[in-house]
Amino acid sequence: MHLKVVYVTVGTTKFDALINVMTSEEALCALQKHKCQKLVLQHGNSTPVSATNLSQINNKYGIQVEQYKFRPNGEDIKAADVIIGHAGAGTCMDILSNGKPGLIVVNDELMDNHQLELARQLASERYLYYCRVNEVSGKIATLDFDALQPYEPATENMQKFVNALNELMTH
Amino acid sequence: MMSTSKSPTTETIHPTFVILGSGGHTAEMCKMNQALLRDQNTYQKKYQPVRYIVANSDDTSERHLRVAMPSVTKDSDFIRVPRSRSVGQSWVSTIFTTLWSLLWSCWLVWRDRPQLVLCNGPGTCVPYCYAAYMWRLLGRLPAHSRIVFVESYCRVETLSLSGRLLLPLADMFVVHWPALAARYSHKPNIRYFGRIL
Repeated sequence: MHLKVVYVTVGTTKFDALINVMTSEEALCALQKHKCQKLVLQHGNSTPVSATNLSQINNKYGIQVEQYKFRPNGEDIKAADVIIGHAGAGTCMDILSNGKPGLIVVNDELMDNHQLELARQLASERYLYYCRVNEVSGKIATLDFDALQPYEPATENMQKFVNALNELMTH
Repeated sequence: MMSTSKSPTTETIHPTFVILGSGGHTAEMCKMNQALLRDQNTYQKKYQPVRYIVANSDDTSERHLRVAMPSVTKDSDFIRVPRSRSVGQSWVSTIFTTLWSLLWSCWLVWRDRPQLVLCNGPGTCVPYCYAAYMWRLLGRLPAHSRIVFVESYCRVETLSLSGRLLLPLADMFVVHWPALAARYSHKPNIRYFGRIL
């Protein structure tokens, strides 16, 4: 699978470790093998990548890096071939509802564990992948994003909910 | 809106109160409302009219719902209510704004006498559910009125604070994941339909 456009998103968090690992040599080599041409970094409150570093990456790996703090990201998500993001519920839902392959990266410095539970659950059902920050480069190199399950709308289960509510309201 | 005169000869209309939160909560509630209020649900008329409760600081939820469900929301009111706490607000002033929002919820539930309060996790929903519970006990709401809480989709193993506060009084309490369903299987009001979103 070619990962021409890779979108990295940290939401409103500060996740320097993810920004650093995505611009590390191992990760960039792995991205290059997947024919990556463009890396978009939504860095939020993390420290942005320096301008010299950006041009070095472009020269060395032929990957154009675009970074920004915040903006409405609907277009970035649609344009991406893979989304790599923090374990926010919003990021998980963006991945699923847009049918994009996704890799959720756990921020060890954050204690907000219930969001992690969602990522872990979705990973156990193979809707997305999930790893620690020191595993990211290896995962990009080896993961088979084609093997992920499509996230279908759960129409039947929703109908069960509607029926139960109808029944509850019958008197 | 404040001065709806009720003719004594017609039966009182009991609306559905849907409590909206922000962002993710609203998107989830929107999907549930679409399923509940579409024409294929032969029972959908029962839920009309729907009144949406939105925090007065929230300017995206109403637009989100109006765009997603134009035919339903054209007949719906969006009632703007004060928030109990805004981000960064001081502790002392939070006491007053919380009391103020509690009074609002009691007043709105008393005035409109909803047959159903439907909510999915934002903190704003807690006072509305307690108000509905209280007014039903005191006879202001019909005995058949119901409180339905749908836990947030991102709660897999533990309940949210809103969930823990509302578990004792919700008539139906929906969870999304098997671990929560198993943990609370002894509670009669807990329902698990598999993943519904």
